[in-house]
Amino acid sequence: MTAGDSTAWKLVSLSPLPGWALGLLVGAVVLGVFLAAVGLRREPSVGRRLLLLALRTVAGAAALFLLIEPGVRTLQVARVKNRMAVLVDRSASMGLPVTPGGGTRSAAVAESLLRMAPGLKALEERFNVELLGFDPALLPVSETVLRTVPAQGVRTDLLGALRALRATDTGGSKKLSGVLLFSDGADNAELQGGVSARARAELLALGFPVSTVQVGDPTLLDVALENLKVDDFAFVRNAVGVEVELRVRGLPGKDVPVVLEREGQVLGTKTVHVTGADETTPVSFTFTPDQTGRFVYTLSAPVFPGEAVTENNTRSFVLKVIRDRVRVLLVVGRPSWDERFLRGLLRQDANVDLVSFYILRTSSDDTQTRNPERELSLIPFPMEEIFDAKLSTFDVVVFQNFGHADQQLSIAQYERKLEQYVANGGALVAIGGDRALGDARTSYPILDRALPVDPVGQTASVAPYRVHLTAEGQRHPVTSVLPTAAASLAAWDELPAGSGVNLVRAKPGATVLLDNPSLLLDGKPAPVLALWEHGRGRAMALMTDDSWTWAFTVHRTGDPTRLYDRFWGNALRWLVRDPDLTTLQVSADPPSVEPGTPVGAVVTAREVDYQPAVGAEVTVELSSVRQHRVVATVRATTGPDGMVRVSFPGQPAGAYRLHATAKSGERVLGEGEDAVAVRTVGPELTDATVRADLLAELARDTGGKAYHLPLQGLPELPLLDPPVVEVGRSKDRPLWDRWEWLLLLATALGLEWVLRRRYGYI
Amino acid sequence: MVSLLHSMAAPTLPRRALLAALPGLFLARRALAFGDGSRFVPAVAQHAGRWNTRLSGLRRIAWELQRRTSVEVVAEARPLSLNARLFDYPFLYFGGEGDFPPLAQSEVDTLRRYLGYGGFVLADANDGSSGTGFDAAFRREMARVLPASPLQPLPSTHVVFKSFYLLDSAPGRLFTHPQLQAALIGGRAAVLYSQNDLAGAWARDEGGDYSFEVVPGGEAQRELAVRTGINICMYALCLDYKDDAVHLPLILKKRR
Repeated sequence: MTAGDSTAWKLVSLSPLPGWALGLLVGAVVLGVFLAAVGLRREPSVGRRLLLLALRTVAGAAALFLLIEPGVRTLQVARVKNRMAVLVDRSASMGLPVTPGGGTRSAAVAESLLRMAPGLKALEERFNVELLGFDPALLPVSETVLRTVPAQGVRTDLLGALRALRATDTGGSKKLSGVLLFSDGADNAELQGGVSARARAELLALGFPVSTVQVGDPTLLDVALENLKVDDFAFVRNAVGVEVELRVRGLPGKDVPVVLEREGQVLGTKTVHVTGADETTPVSFTFTPDQTGRFVYTLSAPVFPGEAVTENNTRSFVLKVIRDRVRVLLVVGRPSWDERFLRGLLRQDANVDLVSFYILRTSSDDTQTRNPERELSLIPFPMEEIFDAKLSTFDVVVFQNFGHADQQLSIAQYERKLEQYVANGGALVAIGGDRALGDARTSYPILDRALPVDPVGQTASVAPYRVHLTAEGQRHPVTSVLPTAAASLAAWDELPAGSGVNLVRAKPGATVLLDNPSLLLDGKPAPVLALWEHGRGRAMALMTDDSWTWAFTVHRTGDPTRLYDRFWGNALRWLVRDPDLTTLQVSADPPSVEPGTPVGAVVTAREVDYQPAVGAEVTVELSSVRQHRVVATVRATTGPDGMVRVSFPGQPAGAYRLHATAKSGERVLGEGEDAVAVRTVGPELTDATVRADLLAELARDTGGKAYHLPLQGLPELPLLDPPVVEVGRSKDRPLWDRWEWLLLLATALGLEWVLRRRYGYI
Repeated sequence: MVSLLHSMAAPTLPRRALLAALPGLFLARRALAFGDGSRFVPAVAQHAGRWNTRLSGLRRIAWELQRRTSVEVVAEARPLSLNARLFDYPFLYFGGEGDFPPLAQSEVDTLRRYLGYGGFVLADANDGSSGTGFDAAFRREMARVLPASPLQPLPSTHVVFKSFYLLDSAPGRLFTHPQLQAALIGGRAAVLYSQNDLAGAWARDEGGDYSFEVVPGGEAQRELAVRTGINICMYALCLDYKDDAVHLPLILKKRR
């Protein structure tokens, strides 16, 4: 508790009079001396004047001495043993090597503390020496811990640690006399940008000196990707910008390539030529996502031999790509009522961006013009632009009664592109008519591969018919136009009679949603609406050109169902894989995690009627994109809300995909996918810099001293002296109660009186 | 104006050639048959006035539409009462000569629903009247059918003037009113109204001769009237297709 007892003394007044009374007496004595001086101002002899004044002063002093009653007080005292803290940075950057391939910064601290042990032992005579780590919370550590337990703090907050330490200073034995701070100075909190005026004021207010010991070599060799800037989400087919700073230290003259990848697919490379020893260069990428969903993107720079940190050469981020509006390309073989009502619907839908091309005239039409260029508003059909250059910018391509044999209107040279467009995730709709599907004037065998139907080789049936909703159609989101299957069935049954259908067969794997029960093909009702998935894309075929009657003719008796609007709305959402139209959804939660942190996912399963699938058996696989293999599988059962949360063990850094499947009994509910990033490096390891300047500034502002490793022993530390306190009883010895002081008073007064009489003042 | 009209005159089709082409039209129709539902069929509104004086004109414009464009038509004029059957025909011709009695309320309601759900009406004052006769009666009925969408002049920048041919006026048998009138529903011209007797310029008699003289521009004006009819039919079928951004630069360049 204390640093050792000792005896001290001091002069005190033993007078019983209160302080104010003593003050009055002192005033009276001073007044008496003053009056004496005034009375002697006409005395011609300087010697007399000084003599009389001296006698009055001596008398006054003697009187005061007797009144104040001075004494000597002896007392037993001791010095309080205050605290001195050795504060060690435990952030993850302290796990970096001091030199390439060498021991960690934490190990260097441990070694230094061993060398300082004698000095610290000596300090313990006056201080309680505490060894604390901060990550950033304060915690006791030891040399063994520093040597054996990796530093894992996710950030370095030097000011926060000192603030927390200051909060433990409650005075007395808890008072801090000083701090010895071991750190690499790689602050990524309040002092990241240096010591601000506000931070400096707070450092000054700490009330104790902070001496710093810089750990690590500031002249390291490192390539780091820092300050990544990218939005959390982007719009499909809209350019996305990514900015990152490439910091290269110790590699002047090198060319450093930075690569942007999406789950293994290289999107771009930028090469930076480094000229300086420590150079930061902004690098930006622009890319255009072509698919909706959540994806892991990775920026990486190569690892050079001898780098201090290799983990900061790579940065991963998750980008959610959403659609702004569904971009529809409508290619129409010729104007018709079917086209007119579809166009009217798509144009008024705020969620649809419609681009359309109509064949208004063929080479056999006679426009009765002498100068068609000037008299007609027609423009050339820009096939190359829309079916080659811009094709990937569309979510859905609709061919409506399109199948011309005319060379100028033939899309034969683009059918492979179109088929690939669908296979790669696009959506295709073929709407029938007298120039389409089985009635087309020409065939597109490659493009036909993408469609869910095959023509039977006969011209269309023009017999009136009534469309029928199949059992599959009653459950499918495209034709489920009303909340219940029965209501949807009734709504479709009530549609006006159609005037004809193209004769096709559904391909194996296709789903027929509407059929014509009055016309049998191969013993089955002829398909009217069929769809399927082709590669990663989707395709739908509508084998009639009288669907406009669902929009218009139906209103002759009123149309409360708005079936046509709902049908096309559903169809577009299904074609573009609107997440709300999938029966199984899996979402990474959160979308990115630190290395070693469990990977979570939420699975939502729904029945085909979109009610929660209770008790569904869910299987979720976590796959490494880089390794192309499943790294973990979890099985779970959904709750009453059709949802279940699953968790995977922590994974190494990298891009991962979640793939979920679900079954309700024997029925498959569907599958869903999502992406999750295990971040390559957190903010702590991004920057391997040793910031000697910050540590020196911090020491200077608090009155401490700045050192750097290696140190052979404990350096000189500015420390506040511990205060002294009484620890025993005091003893007073009067000085005034002696006859000599009374005799002095009487003598001075008497002598003054005698002399005043002689000199004629009395 | 006349010289301009002459310069725009298209080659005339000899009567024999027309007669020879008619069987071909029927053959073509049969070859392309997919039912008549999606074909362009001009329906003609029956009202209590003289509604049926231009049926041959409607057949003619349908035929011209088939000949000049890729649109497939049924070259007939189908008279219809203003009842629920209207909803089989999105294009309705409402013409007449002279005054006609007010429509029944059920007819007004049907017509209102027809236009509201996407139907199109081409109104045509066969008597070229203005403030009297058919004009007064039609305006009176339109005020009942679409009270919130009064007829208003259609500017020459409207898409109907570039839906197939590039035009800047809408002459008919007469040329007393250069512009069309329109009743708009949500930006769409649901009713287009000509006071120039458009169908009068199109009409032919049983012998194949044009039924009426076209004044003041003669045959050039007749050709413009046909082109106006083609554009109106195209607008009914394609709406504002020619206002799409992809068309504008080229069309503006042509108009310079």
